[in-house]
Amino acid sequence: MALNVTLKIFRYRPNQPARCDTFDVTVPDAANVLDAIEQAWDKHDRDLMFRHACHHASCGTCAVRINGREKLPCIAPVRDYLDGGKPITIEPLRNFPIVGDLVVDVTGLFQRQEATGFVITRPTEDSLDGKRVDHTQCLAPASAAIVPFNRFENCVECGICLSACPTMAADDKFFGPAGLAAIQREVDKTDDPNARARLLDLADDEQGVWRCHSAWECTEACPQNVNPAEAIMDLRKQITARRFKKLFAR
Amino acid sequence: MNLSLPENKRLRFLRWFDFRSGRLGMIAYILNRVTAIGLVVYLYLHLAVLSILAGGPAQWDAFVQIARSPLFLTLDVILLAGILIHGLNGLRIALTGFGVGVRGQKPLFVAFMLVAAVALIAGALKIFAG
Repeated sequence: MALNVTLKIFRYRPNQPARCDTFDVTVPDAANVLDAIEQAWDKHDRDLMFRHACHHASCGTCAVRINGREKLPCIAPVRDYLDGGKPITIEPLRNFPIVGDLVVDVTGLFQRQEATGFVITRPTEDSLDGKRVDHTQCLAPASAAIVPFNRFENCVECGICLSACPTMAADDKFFGPAGLAAIQREVDKTDDPNARARLLDLADDEQGVWRCHSAWECTEACPQNVNPAEAIMDLRKQITARRFKKLFAR
Repeated sequence: MNLSLPENKRLRFLRWFDFRSGRLGMIAYILNRVTAIGLVVYLYLHLAVLSILAGGPAQWDAFVQIARSPLFLTLDVILLAGILIHGLNGLRIALTGFGVGVRGQKPLFVAFMLVAAVALIAGALKIFAG
């Protein structure tokens, strides 16, 4: 079965007034919003700017706002947005400079991630039969030394958490949920006290964990269950504990 | 090159009140801001009211008469609501910051707001009972 939907897409080019264009598209019943955007580009307007790559929530490239909420359109089914023929509104992420239409400049996100000094990779998941290989059987005895440095990440660096964060909206110097979650993961996995101290100092900055005002929007919006808000709370706990230790060590 | 839409930076704080997500955390966030601004305004108002004392007993007695009016008592109830919401929501934020109730921050907010509602009703009855 095919679905007929209307997309209302934000349009913008530098030095021109912003506007919204509507496109009527027909997509298969199982289509995602990204498929509908591609239809609009293919059938109606080849000037439409949007980004995508993997089509399966691995790259985080296509993040936009659908009806006001941050989503990855590659995994957002069109049928979830069918509301009596009302158009589906698609806008770029908030809190990033807009390059054009749905494309934002996410450099700020990567700069924040880079500050924590780590590389992001994804975790392996259980196999389809629910089994998980015991890596110590494959790598022993070297695995004992490897394990602390072999933790993987869920974050796809889509920028959705920065867009959803109300603190970020009011203060673009804020380190942001993705960066702070990255710090927490690094703190968690390092055994080096100096590296740990450096990371906690970074999180303890004026623009770090204390700038967060606990709206939990980042965790609500995250498409990958990274749970940045919980990571921020964990950092607060660790920083507070460190301060108490310093206080009583005097 | 300026890529982003032109915007008035002085009005960026209005994004605090962007209610589009409608989620519980955002409701708590907005409530905390609204009540905080209200309490700051009240603080200055309170100082201004106290300055009436400098005008002598007659002026103060006249003010007390106004303070007993239903309108003024309603403002007292609004003030109490602000104190309860801001205080209890702040306690929730402090608790989660210490790692307490992080996974249950939503039920924690609902529970604290229920406590606030009960205390507000009791307080309002007390205020209007004189």
